[in-house]
Amino acid sequence: MRKRTVKRAARQTAAAVLAGCMLLGGCSGSGSGSGSGSGGGAAATTGAAGSEAQTADADVDKSSWVSEEPVEISIMMTDNANQPLKQDAPSHEEIFKKTNVKLNIQIVPANGYNEKKSIVLGTNNFPDIIYIPNTADIVTYGESGVFEPLLQYVNEETMPNFYKFWEQYPEMKRYLLNDELYVFPVVAREETANGFGPVIRTDLLEKNNLETPETFDELLDTLAKLKEADPSIIPWTGRKGTTQLLKTTSYMLGSGYGNNGLYYDEDEKKYIFGPASQNFKAVLDYLNRAYEMGVLDPEFATTTAEQMDSKLASGKSVFFLDNSGFSMNYTSMLRKVDGYEDATFQILPILENSFGQRRAQAYATELPGRFYAVNASSEHKEEIIKLIDWLYSKEGSDITNYGVEGYSFEYNEQGEPEFKEDYVMQFKDAQPSDYYAIYTDLGITKLDLCLWACNTKTWFEIQKIDGNWTEESDEYWNIIANDAAYVQPHIDPPLTSEESEEVQDILADVNTMLEQEYNKYIMGEAEIDQWDSVISQCEDMGIRRLEQIYNDAEARVLQQ
Amino acid sequence: MKKERVRGRKPQSLGSRIFDVVNYLLLAAVGFVMFYPMFYVFIVSISSAEYINQGAISFFPRGINFEAYKRVFDTESIWTGYKNTFLYTIVGTAVNVALTAMCAYPLSRKDFYGKKPLTVFITLTMFVSGGMIPLYLVVNGLHIMDTMWAVILPSAISTYNMIVMRTSFSAIPDSLVESAHLDGANDVHIFFKIVLPLSKPILATMVLFYAVTHWNSYFPALLYLNDQSKYPVQVIMRNIIIDGDMAQAGDMSGMLNVVATNYKYAIIIISVIPILLIYPFLQKYFTKGVMIGAVKG
Repeated sequence: MRKRTVKRAARQTAAAVLAGCMLLGGCSGSGSGSGSGSGGGAAATTGAAGSEAQTADADVDKSSWVSEEPVEISIMMTDNANQPLKQDAPSHEEIFKKTNVKLNIQIVPANGYNEKKSIVLGTNNFPDIIYIPNTADIVTYGESGVFEPLLQYVNEETMPNFYKFWEQYPEMKRYLLNDELYVFPVVAREETANGFGPVIRTDLLEKNNLETPETFDELLDTLAKLKEADPSIIPWTGRKGTTQLLKTTSYMLGSGYGNNGLYYDEDEKKYIFGPASQNFKAVLDYLNRAYEMGVLDPEFATTTAEQMDSKLASGKSVFFLDNSGFSMNYTSMLRKVDGYEDATFQILPILENSFGQRRAQAYATELPGRFYAVNASSEHKEEIIKLIDWLYSKEGSDITNYGVEGYSFEYNEQGEPEFKEDYVMQFKDAQPSDYYAIYTDLGITKLDLCLWACNTKTWFEIQKIDGNWTEESDEYWNIIANDAAYVQPHIDPPLTSEESEEVQDILADVNTMLEQEYNKYIMGEAEIDQWDSVISQCEDMGIRRLEQIYNDAEARVLQQ
Repeated sequence: MKKERVRGRKPQSLGSRIFDVVNYLLLAAVGFVMFYPMFYVFIVSISSAEYINQGAISFFPRGINFEAYKRVFDTESIWTGYKNTFLYTIVGTAVNVALTAMCAYPLSRKDFYGKKPLTVFITLTMFVSGGMIPLYLVVNGLHIMDTMWAVILPSAISTYNMIVMRTSFSAIPDSLVESAHLDGANDVHIFFKIVLPLSKPILATMVLFYAVTHWNSYFPALLYLNDQSKYPVQVIMRNIIIDGDMAQAGDMSGMLNVVATNYKYAIIIISVIPILLIYPFLQKYFTKGVMIGAVKG
């Protein structure tokens, strides 16, 4: 009920603003060409002229308006099942109030986004702004000229707010294509990141008087002892088959897999195709031992996410190495089962591998890999650039991460936004989670239109207000925060379109061959020493050339 | 009473009885294989999350509750989607059947000038298509982007269905049409007063074919519609079900919430029930209609 009245109030204010600026447009027809800098003054004069307009204008702050006339700017964005987007979300209306830009959001379901995106970009039929989910698109479409070149705007004067980030994160230069910028990257705001990590049932360690493992070898012993204590369990399970197993474990075990085999080694400071390196044998050897000891799920090659859920949530499995954040979900699922009221999944500090290293990759905390491109043939480029710069500002970020002042948040004494308790409490038991329900309701944070974007910051704040924050979550994030093993993901350098074509050809061949090999070695059908012959097969298929392409591209970036 | 029932049956040999039993068992097994997935989706949709997560549900729902359905009914976008789907299905099917019948009838008449080349020309479209991008440009050029017509018009006639219908029309004896002519009826009259009333089974079949296609279709809507309030329910359902899976991947985000399985399954149930309900009403025509269109010159 309350929500509705507030919404209505917001709408009325919006209407008043609209009426105000229409009047303004009518009175000063010739003045429409003048820059927005004079906006404040012009509004004051009009206000004095008409008594009705005065009341409408009185509480409207026009300092951040990007245009005197209300402009409609269309944006194509992807939807998300956890956080469905809404056209008329309070945050979007607030953007209109603050910038005089009416957002017309084309919300495309996530699973069809790539198809729709390639068609609208291919036919040059896309809205003013378009969301770009990966860097590959920069290469594909950047050269075709459909995107507005942006470097001309990146300076102190035109985009003061974005320019700050541009200076702060030199990594952004990696998004350049042929020395030109085509996308605005989303910048994370106070993000805490987890990543792949080992998660174990700590209650079982206590029950069986087992030490917390510190190395990967100790881990195998510990899991074997747990299996001895209860032979019915399958200690280590996973999801999505062998590839996911390699993605999650390889880097920690001293090699790497990235998304398709190629990864940047932070210790060696270069790109390496993991499976074609000597260190990869240590990965295969370890997984093979885990398999032969009965520790690793015998169905590891075919297991699905649902199977992983059901094994961990029923107590059948006691360990996984994947997105360690799942631990909190599994803890709460398992505790609902009779006899498991004290069960706790908790992350282990990253274990030492056979090379004596402790290393892991976290999810991105600075540049989360979301981009927005501007249509080169848009009629409102000037306004778009101003709007985007405003979205990078503190005010813009507060609105796109906390919603509407007075409704969902208030500023504290330090000038920082804080969610209002009575607003947050309405969503305490909401589905799929309290914070996603709030993100959806307000139209905020990373998954909505937001360029300096919160994700975990607001999540933690919300849960601390509504009481869903648990001791385990506190412990979990502390363990990660104090673990020096995690490094930020490396942003790939831009490739030319010929290079990326060559890369794709090589990768497709090599990975088709490799996918048939991994299981043989993990299941012990082939000796680890024979992996050398697989490596030389990879070399015949041009794997060193692939590494060279990336390392050359990396060198180009470093030269800039 | 008993006698009456037995009468009319020939005494059965042991062999044929065994055959019957085996036959029924086999068919029951096949029937069960067809029925079980649907049934499973249903029981999961009314079970509680902890049993689903443990994978503890096989034949009976456990922890019965209707929370998932409550959540579905509370989701506004599903209702607008539903409304749109009904609209697109009804208008679309009407357009489809009308145009298909009007195209099929002339092509079924032996005395229609240019029948052969036209048929070949139309049949070609079954094998050769312009592809997605040209089609997109055409829809855009017609200025029907982001309207209901973008979903309905590009697929107004399915060539396959048109040929089935043409074959069915050509089974109507020429003498019937001729005699109507002699009585003074023109072609339009003959079509509406004689041909169509005689073709109810094939019309019902076409209605069913087209309606099911419209009901299940999501891709044209995804491509040609921009306004979320115009999306049919399938687009919304797909988003929740498929994207819900991807969300768990959480690969870059580090976020971990998953769309609950019972919610997904409740949406599936809700979105298939209406079209399932149509079948029984059309079934009596359906078996006849499909046969009529088949394998004839």
